[in-house]
Amino acid sequence: MSSCGASASAVVSLLVLAASHAFAGDPLSFWGGRLRLGGEVSGTIAPEDLGFFNYNDYETSTLRLFRIDLMAEARLLPSVSLLFDGRIDNLSEPRVYALYLRARPWPSRDFDLQAGVVPPVFGSFARRRYALDNPLPSLPLAYQYLTTIREDALPENAEELVAQRGRGWLVRYPIGNTAAGPGRPLVNAERWDAGVQARIGVRPFSLALAVTQGTLSHPEFEDENGGKQLSARLAWTPLPGFVAGVSAASGDFVADSARAALPDGASAGEYRQQALGLDLEWSAGHLILRGEAVFSRWRLPALDATRIEDPLDALGLFAEARYKLWPGVYVASRVERLTMAELATSFGPRGWDAPVTRVEIGAGWSASRHVLLKASWQHNWRDGGRVRENDLVAAQVLLWY
Amino acid sequence: MVLSLALAALVLALSSAREGAVAAQEPRAASGTIRGRVELRRAPAGGERPAVAELGMPGPREAVDRRRSVVYLETAPQPAFETPPPGRAVLDQRNETFVPPVLAITAGSTVDFPNSDRVYHNVFSLSKPRRFDLGRYPRGRSRSVVFDRPGVVRVFCEIHSHMSAYILVFAHRFFSITDAEGRYRLEAVPPGSYTLALWNDGAVRARRELRVEPDAVVELDLAVE
Repeated sequence: MSSCGASASAVVSLLVLAASHAFAGDPLSFWGGRLRLGGEVSGTIAPEDLGFFNYNDYETSTLRLFRIDLMAEARLLPSVSLLFDGRIDNLSEPRVYALYLRARPWPSRDFDLQAGVVPPVFGSFARRRYALDNPLPSLPLAYQYLTTIREDALPENAEELVAQRGRGWLVRYPIGNTAAGPGRPLVNAERWDAGVQARIGVRPFSLALAVTQGTLSHPEFEDENGGKQLSARLAWTPLPGFVAGVSAASGDFVADSARAALPDGASAGEYRQQALGLDLEWSAGHLILRGEAVFSRWRLPALDATRIEDPLDALGLFAEARYKLWPGVYVASRVERLTMAELATSFGPRGWDAPVTRVEIGAGWSASRHVLLKASWQHNWRDGGRVRENDLVAAQVLLWY
Repeated sequence: MVLSLALAALVLALSSAREGAVAAQEPRAASGTIRGRVELRRAPAGGERPAVAELGMPGPREAVDRRRSVVYLETAPQPAFETPPPGRAVLDQRNETFVPPVLAITAGSTVDFPNSDRVYHNVFSLSKPRRFDLGRYPRGRSRSVVFDRPGVVRVFCEIHSHMSAYILVFAHRFFSITDAEGRYRLEAVPPGSYTLALWNDGAVRARRELRVEPDAVVELDLAVE
């Protein structure tokens, strides 16, 4: 058995053990509760997504995914914890999703420090409890859909970029890494970034700040360009059941490997991803409404004609509703739009990538406290690419503990 | 699994209750008392799931007292079924904890679920004896549920997965929740032979056969291993 297979088996064994405890009602804990385990096992099935609308940058469809997720929290000191989240997708090699230290230096104050591979402070969706807190099987476009931008491969001109419209799942550019690879989403909910963050709460506000290695599009464990990302979110909770958050982020985007391939004069430029976000949540009774707007701007080197002089802007919007019909049964819907700004090319102005619209409706049923079944239908439209429209029916089984 | 066993025990209590009724036809004036103390020799389970996606430590919460047990008769005399006294109880939501963590009530009783926290809660149960979902409501509001059927009802908060409580619904009045020292007391028990059950933290942990004589006090200590 390979080391990867052995690791996977060990994790699966732990999960089964934890699950058996979960059905007794409590998470698995050791040493008087100082070490606690939890997790999720989810299986999602759907027809093949020929338009690649639901692919992530692990080159996996989020609607054709078997995921094992193991979480652990070790209380090292009364105010210091070590947190871990490891995942296995489709029985591939395990990967670390989160690994960080959390400290509350002054126990009586609402102030926390976290360091390591930390939860993102930007927006709201990426911190939801994975499949359990997502009423539908898919991820929002702004947090998953692969645009045609890569940090390790660059187009020489606007025409090369526009030629890739609607092909974000596998793009190829001549500068940097010339192999075909996936583009990046506006915000990547499938990876967390490494760095440090601080959060302070003064009712009704909560402010979180982070300095991390990567960017929203491409969170990373090891820095690829020596530049850091600054991100922040200010949340306002004036009433129970209502949260409004504004976020901002700015970080060096282009990797050193691509920068090294640039001609003199261009290699020293600032090529950043900058983003602004607004998130809202309101709930009462059996209804939850959520909405987010994510504006992202990338700057890429302006090389040959037609030069990419303007920033590459994109706006992702979604609104989501969930309503519980009966105990354990809900219906949900999400409406989304992802648009890209126009870029000057020799053919005239063109959107630098193809805009996408998605409507998804679904339902969920809690067969028991720890088993959730979801089903949904989604329709996607895209103004570009080989497949411009498709319908997908998906089902998801989720075991959590 | 454990929850199912506990539920089965209570159902068994109901199905066998008529036998108890036959065994206990003495007048109430001559009834006895069962009392004792419950010793917990096992560490109570519990704890929260890892809060990996949070941006900070969870706020202060009231410690859940998982040492409270319920001692009850698995068989009960006939009069207890003819006039089960419906009551009213409160299961508060305070510091992201259900208080108390264990309630024992008679069938037909109403339980109020006030929210005493700044944040929303969403109380629900998927237990067979009573499925309900009260939705989200703010501090100062309360919603109520009538529990008509005997059994074990596990209550959760949809927003805060670490919150849970048990409501044990009985078809008779011969049950007692232990106090802080583990003491219990069942009064006005008609003379007869009974099975006494001890429930703790989601499961029946012990059973004892006993006989109650007229005007007598039966002392019986129990232990949870």
